[in-house]
Amino acid sequence: MTVPAVELDGIWKRFPGVIANSGANLTVRPGTVHAVLGENGAGKTTLMNCLAGVYRPDEGAVRLGGQELSFSSPADAIAAGVGMVHQEFRLVPTFTVAENVVLGAAPRIIDQGGIEASVADLAARFGFDADPARPVWQLSMGERQRVEILKALWRDANVLILDEPTAVLTPQEAVELGEVLRRMVAEGRSVIFISHKLDEVVSFCDEATVLRGGATVAASLSVAEVDASELAQLMVGDVAVEPVPVAVAMPGDPALTVDALSVRDARGLLAVDDVSLEVRSGEIVGIAGVAGNGQRALTDAIAGLEPVESGTITVMQHDVTSAPPQRRFRAGLAYVPEDRLGVGLAPKLPVTENAMMRAYRKLRRGPMLAWDDADQLTDQIIREFEVKIGSKDAPLASLSGGNLQRLLLGRELTGEPDILVASQPTRGLDVAGVRAIQRLIVQQRDNGTGVLMVSEDLDELLALADRILVMVEGRIVGEFDPRVATRADIGAAMIGGSDRSTRPDTEGVSS
Amino acid sequence: MKRLVLARRETPTRGGQPLAFLVGLVFALVVGAILLWITGDPVLDVYERMWDRSLGSQNTWSDTFNRAVPLALAGLAVSIAATMGLWNIGAEGQIMFGAIAATFVGRLLPDAPGLILIVAMLLAAAFGGALWSFGPAVARSEIGVSEIITTLMLTEVASRLIVYLEQGPWKDPDGFGFPGVTPRPDQAELGTLWERTHIGVLIALAVIIGFAWYLRRSVWGYELRIAGSSEKAAAYAGISVRRKVLGVLLVSGAVAGFAGGIELLTTTTGKLTVQISNGYGFAGIIVAALALMRPSGVAAVALAFGALQVGGQAIQTNPGVSPAVATILQGLVLFGAIGAAVFSTYRLRLVDRQVAES
Repeated sequence: MTVPAVELDGIWKRFPGVIANSGANLTVRPGTVHAVLGENGAGKTTLMNCLAGVYRPDEGAVRLGGQELSFSSPADAIAAGVGMVHQEFRLVPTFTVAENVVLGAAPRIIDQGGIEASVADLAARFGFDADPARPVWQLSMGERQRVEILKALWRDANVLILDEPTAVLTPQEAVELGEVLRRMVAEGRSVIFISHKLDEVVSFCDEATVLRGGATVAASLSVAEVDASELAQLMVGDVAVEPVPVAVAMPGDPALTVDALSVRDARGLLAVDDVSLEVRSGEIVGIAGVAGNGQRALTDAIAGLEPVESGTITVMQHDVTSAPPQRRFRAGLAYVPEDRLGVGLAPKLPVTENAMMRAYRKLRRGPMLAWDDADQLTDQIIREFEVKIGSKDAPLASLSGGNLQRLLLGRELTGEPDILVASQPTRGLDVAGVRAIQRLIVQQRDNGTGVLMVSEDLDELLALADRILVMVEGRIVGEFDPRVATRADIGAAMIGGSDRSTRPDTEGVSS
Repeated sequence: MKRLVLARRETPTRGGQPLAFLVGLVFALVVGAILLWITGDPVLDVYERMWDRSLGSQNTWSDTFNRAVPLALAGLAVSIAATMGLWNIGAEGQIMFGAIAATFVGRLLPDAPGLILIVAMLLAAAFGGALWSFGPAVARSEIGVSEIITTLMLTEVASRLIVYLEQGPWKDPDGFGFPGVTPRPDQAELGTLWERTHIGVLIALAVIIGFAWYLRRSVWGYELRIAGSSEKAAAYAGISVRRKVLGVLLVSGAVAGFAGGIELLTTTTGKLTVQISNGYGFAGIIVAALALMRPSGVAAVALAFGALQVGGQAIQTNPGVSPAVATILQGLVLFGAIGAAVFSTYRLRLVDRQVAES
């Protein structure tokens, strides 16, 4: 048996209030592409950061080629032959490809032509199509990723870690990446491929290790011998969470109708592709799907933060397809965005100024604002939604995550909306916070509000939603009834499997 | 092995900024003393005379107050733009163009009664300042051209324009052939409150208090804060960031231009010259930075800088030290205060080397 290229043995990593890794193991054979799988928050990225020298594990051993090592910085890890391509690229936009590749690892006197030639050689060796003289700002996200990979190869990385590399790629670029990875392993290098997209794992990888709750639940499975549904089962587990009590829905008239909606993202790709859906008063429609399949673009477009390519959006019989966000709010649409602090709230401003963000136009007194009324409004939200704050004049950022979300949700709900669009409303909250937010959402539904809820937590959707739509690559690919559907059914649809629906007729869904 | 690291404080120290400013002032005086000692100047004499001539007696307070007016208004202009994260570093040019516009009105209505003329000239000055920032404002809001570059470059244009007016169309026929603009009408002079302290001090104070209050309490000020915090949050709240950028830069220019008007109405010669802005626009950036871009803090900082500048001028004649000392001291105050301000949000900690790196 050959010596493993990488061995992570019993890794523990704790952060204040969170245990990211609790005894995670990973063994990677040389010359293989090894997938590290897990849901969001399973501890994949933390584990890889321990290998790449970004974090130092609290417990456990890191071995490369059988030798135990202790990195105190990413530079140590690079020197030992471990390169990592992070989800957020670390490139200098105004530098050329070649300059970025050699940055920090260049000879003291730089010979521009010589460096460009050797970077071009390196690119050619691995089948990259890259012009070393082009500035990075001109490149697509896929091309930038190749520069990151070249950076690692330039430093002769023997182990390359890619953190969710296909999240920024078009399908064609993803296929090309797969070919590059095969060339790398053919040279005897190892690649660690972090993902939660099972189809990629099956097509690119040799072996897979599955993490759940910070620990390894299955190590070095041969991808050829397991099928995707088994991996999905391992990823999500079969934990039964005590559900928030949900009464039978009494759906009424359509509150939100989305018809043949398409939205392009910043790269000009179709992030939302011909989506039609309907949310009636008094029902919760859940949108399930792996992150990055167009959910954010869909909800942002409904809220008016993203321009629509084609199709229509109707709120309570009003066509709001091209209306500004504020008009939609007045028409009865409340929105809890995925990005709470950057979009929904202004962290540096006081609590009061955040609480009045949607309603401040009603507080106008000529050119001035009625601050007494603003204080009252804030008090009302704080009381009704049990937001715990220090002072109303303190910056919002001083609130905890759960209280931020209560304030945001409370503000959106004070206008008594007809439709609530909530994107990842419970993500990142502690158990009590999750329960409180879930209860509020169910309460809204029982009061007759229509709710469109995007979540990556399938258990949450199964517990709360009256219908579940599955979104893959910008399209709605199936509709499920949570009373009869199983996790496995929905999981298969989420990864683009064939079994698409528990209902023969997908009413309200055209795809 | 131990080493020192900067660690972020859980909560910033209260009252940190005034303290930092005082530390900066002390730092400046100490380093300034070393510089004076190196150049062989009598350190104590220089400082004593600076004190005497700026804050030493009621008589000299006038000069300090008067000097603080344009500094405070320029600082206010910079800090208004900064509420949205914009840098109007061309207040200097807007001051000049404000003075040009005021002079224009003075030439237009040479026989108008004093009060009317004063009001008209000050309004014209504010309008002129806004006009001078209009180009940068539109370029920034519509196509995203950096206001830092455009406002700065227009400063140069404004000063050339004054040179042209001095030698060409506005040349004083009674100027014995020397280049120079005809002085403003005599009745257009701001009166004094006491000693040499002119009414501009009160006007500037009112403008600053008015803006500080208005920005805090008005719809406009609130919208600026939201728009300045994030573009997406602004869109979500239904606020047009473009319109706010345009508006805030125009207002910033108007305030700077207004300072130019006050200067024109209080100079003893009554003449528009290139020196009318006298570096106030640039010093205003330092003033605003030290006031943490808060309109409410601008007046206090401007007063300290007014004293520094007036004192710096005095040492020129006796004991004959370059007035550049004052400029150097201003810069040193900024250095020292920024350095000291770091410690209101960070503190030094001695830590184990390995922990420091992980």
